[in-house]
Amino acid sequence: MLTATGQAPAETGSIRTRDGASRRTTPLYVVCSPQRCVGKTLLARLLAEFYLIDGLPVAAFDLADEGPQLADFLPRCTTIADLSDATGQMALFDQIIADRRTTKIIDVSHRAFKDFFTIAQKIGFFEEARRQGMEPLILFMIAPGPKSAKAYTILGRWFAEASLLPVRNQLVAKGIPYCAAFPNESAVSVSLEIPLLGASLRTLVDQQSFSFADFWRTTPASLPARLDDELQAWIKRNFLQFREIELWLMCEEIMSALK
Amino acid sequence: MAKPAVVLIGADKGGVGKTTVARTLLDYFTAHQVRVRAFDTEVPRGTLKRFHPEVTEIVDINLVPDQMKIFDTLQEGDASVTLIDVRAGLMSPTLRALRDIGFIDAAKKGQLTFAVFHILGPSIASLDEIAETAAYLGDAKYFMVKNFINNTHFFEWDEATHSSYFKRIKDAVEITIPKLSEMATEQVELASVPFVTFIANKKRNGEPAANSFVLRGYVRHWLGNIWAEYDRIGVTEIVRPKELAAAAGEPAGRPRPVMRIAEAAS
Repeated sequence: MLTATGQAPAETGSIRTRDGASRRTTPLYVVCSPQRCVGKTLLARLLAEFYLIDGLPVAAFDLADEGPQLADFLPRCTTIADLSDATGQMALFDQIIADRRTTKIIDVSHRAFKDFFTIAQKIGFFEEARRQGMEPLILFMIAPGPKSAKAYTILGRWFAEASLLPVRNQLVAKGIPYCAAFPNESAVSVSLEIPLLGASLRTLVDQQSFSFADFWRTTPASLPARLDDELQAWIKRNFLQFREIELWLMCEEIMSALK
Repeated sequence: MAKPAVVLIGADKGGVGKTTVARTLLDYFTAHQVRVRAFDTEVPRGTLKRFHPEVTEIVDINLVPDQMKIFDTLQEGDASVTLIDVRAGLMSPTLRALRDIGFIDAAKKGQLTFAVFHILGPSIASLDEIAETAAYLGDAKYFMVKNFINNTHFFEWDEATHSSYFKRIKDAVEITIPKLSEMATEQVELASVPFVTFIANKKRNGEPAANSFVLRGYVRHWLGNIWAEYDRIGVTEIVRPKELAAAAGEPAGRPRPVMRIAEAAS
């Protein structure tokens, strides 16, 4: 678990956001898809760095078995997980459940997709996460083809206690009439989309040494102004959506406190 | 007054999971507010007693005084169900003794309810046990339990052979006990508490335990499947007539989620 400065967060009764508001519910993001090369790790990276920039503690878990994977980009806050036996499952799920104050991001590879959700259902992972004050959000990267739509339907049926949100990566899912096949029936009314990014910038952000947080703080001197503007705008659009989720979480807390 | 019920759990072969099944039944009865007492015939060290010491007594079923302790007291005390975990190798002798003392006849006359959970092993010898058991059963409710908890493969059975034995006992019902993750099994063994206590993450004295969430989840899922089997065969209706269950405010035949029961226990 790390903050942007690479230090453990201060031990306080509740987590404080940058604007000073205290928070009791922490998000638990599961970034997933049954298909490969749809932008799961990119989204997981963006999410992790969004929280790191905010100075909030983040723990990421990487279920990929091929590179480049999340642990290659964010080695300091990422744990490589293994679901193949009970020891590995305990290392992942018990660790997540035990720490209710850290934002968690699980990057579920297409190969681990079935096992992860089967185990999660069997052990009642999302119910327990909720009991521990976490808000489970399944960010499903949509893709063309019936496999993706079928998996989405199954997750919706299995996990009523988690918010299932479709994420459209413009690079992969442009033009898919996704509203019918991937309806957002959760209470989170945020429409998530990863906008298109130019080819040269894609090459830049795909480098393992690239950090969105570093770029956010300091523009690399070597980057032309046009590309700098484009990347800034792209990151901002992504972060704005995450901020909407954060706002929704805060509203939920306020509403439940008023009840 | 309700008829006393006796549930006998046994097998002639050892290591087929008799005590595990007994433990799941004790948890099930407790969750359904059925008062139960148990006898563990594994003398001198009873495994069942280690998990359920409050309701379990260790007895030597070969000894007449201990037989009297069980069968002469069926109408006494609070418990409406008497559960007997019969040690390996004693299934047939116990049934013979029950016949000799007139217990089987009493069940036939409807004076008491008698149910047998026969835990089957993978070998053909288990099928021979069924044939031997059949001779003593009378009107007992007979449940053949295929227990997969020890990773059993019923490799020696073919369907025709199995059916021929199965049909020898009138109204026999088959139950399947699924496999539980080895690590989860080990951790419950180490904790030495009932399954529901483990799921609720408690120690025997009620203090919070530090059991793995994953393993608790596996045990909850596994126990939920077993209780669904008990719901299917109507275990509570066998040991407690429908009218009594209804009087206790319990909807007939509705499965109780294990999660809710574990929460109630906590």
